[in-house]
Order: sequence, then structure tokens, then C-alpha cells
Amino acid sequence: MKILRSCILFALCVPAAADEPATGTLTIQPPIISLTDARDWQRVLVLQKFPDGSTRDVTANAEFQLSDPAVCQVENGIFRPLADGQCRVTVRYDGSDVVAMAEVSNATMIPDLRFRSEVLAVLTKSGCNSGKCHGAASGKDGFRLSLFGYDPPGDHHRLTREFPGRRVNVSDPEQSLLLQKALGNVNHTGGQCLDEDSEHFQTLKAWIAEGAPTDPPEAAIPTGIRVFPEEAIFADRTAASQQLLVIATFSDGTDKDVTDLCVFLSNNDAAAGVTGDGVVSANGPGTAFMLARFDQFTEGTAVIVRPGVSYEFPKIVAANQIDELVFARWKNLHLLPSEVCSDEEFLRRINLDLTGLLPTPEERRLFLADSDPDKRAKRVDDLLQRPEFLDLWVMKWAELLQIRTVNGLSSKGLLMYDRWLRERVHAGMTIDQIVRELIPATGGTFENPATSYYQTETTPQLLAENVAQSFMGTRIQCAQCHNHPFDRWTMDDYYGFASFFSQVGYKQARDPREIMIFNAGTGSLKHPVADRTVVPAYLGAGKAEIPAGADYRAVLSDWLASDANPAFARNLGNVVWAHFFGIGIVEPVDDMRVSNPPSNPQLLQYLGQRLAADGYDIRPLIREICLSRTYQLTASRNESNRLDERHFSHSKVRRLRAEVLLDCLNQVTESQEEFRGLPRGSRAVQIADGQTPNYFLTTFGRASRETACSCEVRTSPTLSQALHLLNGESTSGKISSGGVVERLLQELQDPLLVVGNLYERCLCRQPTSREIEAVKDRLADGRDVREALNDLFWALLNSNEFLFNH
Amino acid sequence: MTTNFPGLSRFDVSPSVRGSRRNWLHAGWLGGVGLSLGQLFRLQAQQRSDESPVEPAAKAKSVIHIYLQGGFAHMDSFDPKPDAPVEYRGILDPISTSVPGVQFSSHMQQTATVADKLTIVRSMTHTEVDHQRGEHSMFTGYRPSPALVYPSLGSVVAHEQGSRGAMPPYVVVPTAGSQFLGSGYLSNAFSPFALGADPARTGYVVRDLNNPAGVDAARFERRKDWKRMVDEQFRSQTQDDAISTMDSFYQKAWSLLDSPESKAAFRLDDETEQTRELYGMKPWGPILRPSAGARFLVARRLVEAGVRVVTVTYGAWDTHSYHYRGIETQLPDLDKAFAGLIKDLDQRGLLDSTLVLITSEFGRTPRINAGGGRDHWPRVFSIVMAGGGIRRGHIFGASDGLAAEVADQPLSIENYATTIYHLLGIDAGKSLMSPGDRPQRIVTDGEVASELLA
Repeated sequence: MKILRSCILFALCVPAAADEPATGTLTIQPPIISLTDARDWQRVLVLQKFPDGSTRDVTANAEFQLSDPAVCQVENGIFRPLADGQCRVTVRYDGSDVVAMAEVSNATMIPDLRFRSEVLAVLTKSGCNSGKCHGAASGKDGFRLSLFGYDPPGDHHRLTREFPGRRVNVSDPEQSLLLQKALGNVNHTGGQCLDEDSEHFQTLKAWIAEGAPTDPPEAAIPTGIRVFPEEAIFADRTAASQQLLVIATFSDGTDKDVTDLCVFLSNNDAAAGVTGDGVVSANGPGTAFMLARFDQFTEGTAVIVRPGVSYEFPKIVAANQIDELVFARWKNLHLLPSEVCSDEEFLRRINLDLTGLLPTPEERRLFLADSDPDKRAKRVDDLLQRPEFLDLWVMKWAELLQIRTVNGLSSKGLLMYDRWLRERVHAGMTIDQIVRELIPATGGTFENPATSYYQTETTPQLLAENVAQSFMGTRIQCAQCHNHPFDRWTMDDYYGFASFFSQVGYKQARDPREIMIFNAGTGSLKHPVADRTVVPAYLGAGKAEIPAGADYRAVLSDWLASDANPAFARNLGNVVWAHFFGIGIVEPVDDMRVSNPPSNPQLLQYLGQRLAADGYDIRPLIREICLSRTYQLTASRNESNRLDERHFSHSKVRRLRAEVLLDCLNQVTESQEEFRGLPRGSRAVQIADGQTPNYFLTTFGRASRETACSCEVRTSPTLSQALHLLNGESTSGKISSGGVVERLLQELQDPLLVVGNLYERCLCRQPTSREIEAVKDRLADGRDVREALNDLFWALLNSNEFLFNH
Repeated sequence: MTTNFPGLSRFDVSPSVRGSRRNWLHAGWLGGVGLSLGQLFRLQAQQRSDESPVEPAAKAKSVIHIYLQGGFAHMDSFDPKPDAPVEYRGILDPISTSVPGVQFSSHMQQTATVADKLTIVRSMTHTEVDHQRGEHSMFTGYRPSPALVYPSLGSVVAHEQGSRGAMPPYVVVPTAGSQFLGSGYLSNAFSPFALGADPARTGYVVRDLNNPAGVDAARFERRKDWKRMVDEQFRSQTQDDAISTMDSFYQKAWSLLDSPESKAAFRLDDETEQTRELYGMKPWGPILRPSAGARFLVARRLVEAGVRVVTVTYGAWDTHSYHYRGIETQLPDLDKAFAGLIKDLDQRGLLDSTLVLITSEFGRTPRINAGGGRDHWPRVFSIVMAGGGIRRGHIFGASDGLAAEVADQPLSIENYATTIYHLLGIDAGKSLMSPGDRPQRIVTDGEVASELLA
């Protein structure tokens, strides 16, 4: 069956009735049932979709009518071949119907058993080659299989040749240890894994009886799988269960129902779980992703379980496309968003997010006094033009490039590298242009500081991993040693991608602190299992055409940061989004994989497309984000979104990252800091070297830039942080060295005005009347007013309202 | 269905953080999987308040882990090879110990007298010759992975058992001697608390443990009251796990600061001359500036006060040249301080409940190199284990005649780590959640080395 054709037909199958029946529309998957040999069979799914968007699996109760019952038969929604030919299948349920086609060919041909796609699939399905059993790197109890079957020839060898006649005994199949162990007839740490009368066991037995053959070279191999239905929406947790259907395509153009050979998993059992047979049932409100794994392929399907309470979408207006896409998700989930935040909340949030600094009391006054309905947009436009905005993004890019002193990178080299990046960002270069200059960089690290990228990491493997993680949001590390069990990456992909860095040449420059990076023009990587030379291949996009004599890296960089590689824009969109929402659409931001799906795929796609259309300039996208209603929601939650952490239905409170927190402490206390290599009074976000020693930054979790991982920036609290804020010099010390309270007392005279100023500078708000009363009480105890106000200042700096962006 | 898929939400709610099924379902409501930090802390607190001992099977209540940074020469300390050729055996003579037939090197005079209280593992082995890779192997029980940094022993214990009283569960003295002594893939809420100052220095004060200048106890109380007042408004409006977690650390900080006994545990000034003598804290012999003793003594005080794991980093052992000059003062300093620690713990009845370890990322090359140094050698090296359920007066395993290969009973990093968790009452086979909701076992494929157990 050809997938493309089936999609077109699928569209035709939807009843064309003008008014949707109240009972919902019926669909059937797959719309073309293709049976290509005597052993072939195909399950179908009949789905009812209701006007409110929810779906129901009605396969078991649907009625099937065949135009030619001689061609195939259907039982419990499973089609089996009878004779070559075609027939029309009419499915009826609840007054609706839908039509599908069945095509049968080679109805009498019984094909040979395939080792990889049938025998090995049984072992994977039964868990034999999982990481804790024989799939462990060292095997288990003396028997090793490749993890989830990434090495079929190796597995065949170990089954049949490592101990001839023992694991597999072709002369007496019953006595094969493989079968005896699987049944638990002999001592087996894993116990009984298969039933004697199961089809899976019979597959193993038949294969051994046939002489345990390996696959002939011309045998069709699996090329991919598809999981159906593409989305299931349960009306509530009591809704009927949903069967999954998995179809694998093969290199000879055929397809097979491999539902019974798949391993199924849910990524969130709290919302919905899945049985080993692929039956999904709802557990509680939320979203879950059902994964199916067959051969080297993992694909998934999204499941939504609605809370099951009456739901009406509020009358709110989408400000832009982002809102449209987010609102659509809320509607699907039956989520009610929080209200829009106040001007004060907005001002503080937007200042921190765009410049890493707090609004001053004067800025606050002006903003509140402005009666222009577009003042929020004006504020965003104003902040986007500030140099502090660029400093913030230089810091973020520097983290992706891991700019730090390492591997003998001299401080001169480091500063030049930082300046190289800083100048480009401030000159308005977009990140794709920077990456295109960075990746193929050659020359001395002083002459062309971009080459320092090749000094911070020096092996092709690490360089490839970092590039994939930083610029494509993908972690390929797993595939260094085995095919990635939960993503599409194979060892071929890994070494193919790493090969782009296999010809980086290094030599000493005249200055002992400088290193020359050049294209050596020779060198390659070997696939460690297959022991063959790997040619450079784009990650997920096939082999690269490399002109003779070209620098591999130049070929890579032309593709990497271009429209040809949508992962670049998508990753960039996700990174930008996460900066403003505290959590990515894919989270962690640099861990996009099949088994970690985006919380809103359409939104992620839109962000990527928008960036590509804007030539990778992040500012228009940031503007759209900041002006969206979604961004401008309050942090206060309601009954409906109380537990939502992934769908942006309220603002997420985020502790300020280390650099920003330190800058804000300095800003409000009017004190200055000295960092190595920077003039006094510089901000922490401007630090060039991720390894610059600073107790505050280290304690509050700045990225040391040792890896490309987004997980390096840590904002979770520790005891040391609390102690430092309570007793350390960053609060008490800065308060006294800055002398803000003393100066304000002198200027304003009235202690209550000073209180107001302290609240404004730290929290961007005036104290509430209750707070004023509480302050008055405390000031009236006859003690030194100056001391009391300093203590209030200290308390403000120690408050969550200050430490968090909200 | 199989339950062994990394990558998916199979959260093992262990006995030590057992929530009700209801809590658990609740935890994963809209896309978030697993317990959040705040939930974990609440469950731990609840567990401690409403139940009997958390770790019924635990022999070791706490751990003092002495880390000798740089790679510790096994043949010049706990595994001398007097019969090897001179370029292997080196210049130190063997001496007898309190265990008949067991010899140490002549730099281990004091420790030799307490050998009957120790188990010496002479067959520790792994495959990593690089410092960082060796550290990761020894501190986490995992070979370094390109995909993930694993949490250290102390962080796992902090995650599993939480704090005891007002003390932080995991402390490093004076600071973390390796990046792999941290919380790895776990939240940095489980990272170690660092003294930030060397107890051996005069004027030693733990950072941020004392009120800032000009703030006495009464003013600090008033500040607390100000903070309560300021926090009120935001708390009433915003409920978020990140906020309650921050608050829980403020609570931890306050209970530590409010407890004179806990704060005193970080100080050394009320220790007697006799104790200082025992730990070798005063200059003696060739040791003009001893520093091991003060660090070990602080470790004992911290453990007494309720800290679960103290990791003390001591010395600079990476002697690629002039090896014997490099160790000639620090080894005797270590020797005396360690013997003092063991005697002190034993006298106080603490040794049986305190697991004491001396480890290093690897040993050093059997053959002395042309520069008079020894290089990195992970194929076989020695570690010391004592107390907390470890056998007394035992030698585990053996190296060959050149101290080059394991001759008997290799101890792998997995089995070593599993044994320690076993003594602490933690199931090393349990899975913790790493980012991306990938469950990771605390140790994979480790077995308890039962011959180490008392």
C-alpha cells in the first residue's frame, strides 16, 4: 500500500454530508486494506468523531459489508486474504457509513519467515533484548543480544553460532535453549516470557524448524511505521478504550500490520495507559503520548483525556497566530486560561525577559501614566532596541558555543572569541549567519576567533553531538554505542553526522597560545559494529553530496543553518519560546525526540516557519510572543488550569537565572560588581568566560558551559542559596555598600515614601494598604527607622516575589 | 508489558518516598510526569513525621567518604610489594600492622595500628584512565556516559533519605573536590552543601552560617518577621511548586541557623587538645601544616549532628614526577588523621553506624617512570572501607606481585556502589527519574560484595 495514495483516498472516505450527524462522523483506517501474501492480515480501526472533537473506537460494533466475499474475509475487524482481487468494504455504525477498499495479491504464496522483521521482533516484543536483560552492553547470564535488535546479523550469529546447537538446535528444535528458556522450562532469570501456544512462540519454533536461516540479502527490510489513530480524544476518564494500529512499510513497497509485534508505552500513565496489545484506556485528565516500537522505529500518537466537566471556551480574542494555536490546544484539552496580567506585572516581566533588568520606579511611573492602549507594544519595541537585549542573547548563544577557558584556550583567545560573537550579534547578524561562519571556520584562533569552537571540543563525536544538541535540539549521544531506542537515530546516523568533523586539522601557530584549525582533507570514521567507513550524512536528511576537495564542515554548515534543515528553525523557535515561558514546547529544549513530543506541534511548527520566513531574525518572533495574550496571562491559576504545567494556560513563575538575579541585586541596591576581565560595574550577563570564578553565580546555578546541554542552567534552590541570601554579602553587604535607604531617607524625608520606593524598585509595585499598615506597625516600635528600612529592604530581596519572574 | 524502557514514565515510588496512588496520579496531571521537587519534599517530611525509622535495614547511618584527589598510589600505602623489583616496589619499606600477616607501607605507621578495624580492598578495578572519567566511575557507580551525568552517592542519599534534623543531608569538606560529587541528572536541590572554607585554616568560618555584621539575634528575628510580612501578598496570589520548594529551603536554612547545636557542628573550637592531638592537627614531625585532621574532625562532628554523607577531599596525589617527594608529607598527615578518626569514632561507639571510606579515582602505575613519578592506573588499586557494617581486620581481594593486575576477587565500581547502598538501606536497583522521564537505576547490574560485610 502506498501511504500517499491512502491519504488522498482517506479524505474521500469522509462522508460528504453537509450537516454533520449528531452521532459523529465515521472514519476507517487504513482506507486501503492491502494483503500481499497468504500469511498477511490487516486490522482496521473504525473511529467515530463527535462534533465536540472527542473520538471513540467503534470497531468492535461496526458492521462490515464486502462487495466480493470471495476476495477476503473479516472477523473482529481483522481482514485475511482468500483470493487475488479487489473488493469494496462498507462499514456501518450508528446510522453512518464509510467505505474502504481491500486489495489482495499473491493470496496463495506462503512467504519465508524473516529473521529481522519477525523472529527478532518477537524477541524485542518479549523484552529479551531490553537494557536490563540480554540487551545490556555486557549481556545477561552469558547471553547478549543487541539492545532492541540494532544489530540483526550479530544477534543471528550469537543465537546460532556462538554455541552451535545450544541456543538454537535445528536438529531438535524443541530442545533449543532459546525455546526452553522462553517457556521457563529450564532455569531462566527472566522467568517465563512466552506461552507455548502463542503465535510468537510458534514463530520462533517454526524459524528454528526451518533451519534458523538468516535473511537473504534481497529480503525486504522495514522502512518505517505508522501508528493509528493519529489523535484520540477521550471525552473523560470513563470513556471506552481505544485500540492502536501499527502498520510497517517495507523496502519492497509492501506493508504489514505489526500491531502484535510492537512494544507499546505511554509517556504519562496518569493520563492514559496502554496494554501490551496496544489498547489505550483513559486514567485521568491530561495528555499522553503512546509510543509504538517495531524494528528500529519508534513512532507515537497523541492522546487527550478531557476532565469531563462542562466546558465553554471563554470569550477572549486572539492577539495573533500564536494565540490562535495555543487557544486551539486549550479547546482540545478543555482548559480555561488565567486572566491577563496587570500593567505592573507585565512591565516587570517584560523588562526581565527582554533586558535582564528590573524597571526603575521612574519607568514604572511613566508606563502606568501612559494611557495609550498600545503602550505594551510600545514598551516591547523600546526594549527590543536596547543593547541589554542583545547582551542577553549573546550570553545564550555563548552557552550554545560553550565559550569558556578549556583545553588550553588562552584568556586572549577566549576574549577574542567572545568579542567575535558579541560584535556580530550587536551588528545585527542573525544566528544562522553566525553558525555559517562558525562551523567551517579555519585559520588561527587569534586570526579567526570562530575557530576556537574547535578548541573547546576536539573529537568528531563530541563536536557532532554538540552541534546536534545546540542547533538542532537533538541529543544523539545514545546512538554512539547503539541505535537510539526512543528516537529515530541509528549508529549510521550518528557516525554519518560525526564524519563531517573527521577531517578537522590542528596545528600549533607561531604564538604558543594560538592553534591553527584547517581542513586536513583526509580522515574518516568507522562504524564500530559493522566495521566499515561511514560517509558524511546530514542528520535525518540523507547522505551529503560533497564536491571533491571540499571542506566537509562547509558542506555541513550550508545545510545546517538553512531552510533545508527545518530542525534548525524549529529548535531556535523552541529556545526562544522557552526563554519567555520558562519551559519549551519541547522540554527539555534540546531533547527533541519521537518519544518526547512537543506539547503543541502546530505551534512549534509555526514558530519555526515564522523564523525561517524572517531570515532567522528572532526579534519579530519575540515581538509576536510578547504581544500575545498567552504571554500576558497572570501567574494566578484557576480551578481548571491549576495543574497545567505544559500548555501555557497561565504564566509560569521562574526563578531568575543566576546572572540576571545578581544584576538585579546590583541594580536595586545600586552597587557594583567586579568580574575578571570586565570593567567595574559590568553586568554578570556580559561575562565572557563561563568559568569565571564567582561564588554567587556558581551557587545560583549558572551554566559553566562544559557541555552544550540546556540543563546546565539550574534554577532549583539549594540550602547554600537560602543561606547566602539570608546572611551573605549579596544582600546585607550590597544594601549597606549601596546606601540606598540612607539616600532615599534624605531625599524623601518620609519613611513611608522610602518604603514605596523600595517596593517599586524591587517588586515593581506599591505596597498594598495591608502592607502599609504592617510597615507602620513595625516602624512605630521606637527603633532606628534607618535600620528598620534596611531590614525591610533585606526582606524584599529575600522574597520570592523578587527572586522569581512571574 | 515490559517495564524496562528507559524513556518513559515508569516511576518507581520507593518505600522511602511512598505516596498514595492518588498522590501519584495527581502528580502527573497535565503532561508533567513524576513527582515534582516540592511534592517529594512534602512526602519525605510526611514520611519522617508519621513513621518509624525510614531505613530499617540500614547498618550505616552515615558515611564519611575521604577522597584522595588525583590518584592514590596503592603500592605505596595499603598494598606494598616488597618482593617486586625496585622500579616497581619503590623506596618505602613495608611495616607490619595490627592484623597478622598484613603489611602497609612505612608511611602508614598510625593506620597500621588500626588495621584490625578496617577492610582493605586491594582489588578495586575499573577501566578509566582519565581523572574525570575515573571520578565519575568511582562516585556514581557508572562509567561516564556521553548522554548523562549520574548523581553521586551523597546526592542519591539526599534524594532518597532527605535530611536528618536541621543538618543538610550531604556536605562536602571543604568544597566539592570533583564535579562528579554533585547531583548529576537529579535536581541541584540534592547537590552537596559546601563548607566553602578549609577547617584547617586559622580563622575558619563556614560561609553564610553566621549573621552578617551588625545583625544580632534579635535583629535577625525582626528580619524574619519582615520577610514573613513581605511574602504574604505574593503567597496569597501565586501557588507554584517552584515557590514552595524555595520556601522549603528557607525553612531548612532557618532551622539550621536556629539550632545552636547544628551550627556548632561546623566549628572545631570546643574540641579538646587531646582530640586535636589524636587527629594530628598540630604540627608534628615533618608535617608543618597538617590539614587532614581538621577536615576529618569536622566530618565526624557533622555526622554526629545528623549529616548523612560527608565527602572530604584531601591532598594532591597526581604525582607524575617526583612521586615520593610528592607524598612524603601528605601521606603521613593522612595516616595520622585517618587513624585518629577511626579511633575516635570507635571510642564514641560511632564506627559501627558510620561507614568510612578512603577512595581515589584510580591507583598509580606499578612501575616508576623516568621522572621518578607514577602515572594513572585503574586496572587495580586499593580503597579502604570501615565501620557501618563492614568487616573488621579484613583484606578483600588481591593484586598481583607487581600491583599491576587483579589477582583475586576484583571489585567493580558497580558492586562497590551497590554494597554501599546496601549498607545504607537503599535498594540500588531502584530507578530514579532522569530528564526526559527516563528512569535510571541507582546502580545497574551491581551485586553486594557480601564478603565485605561484617
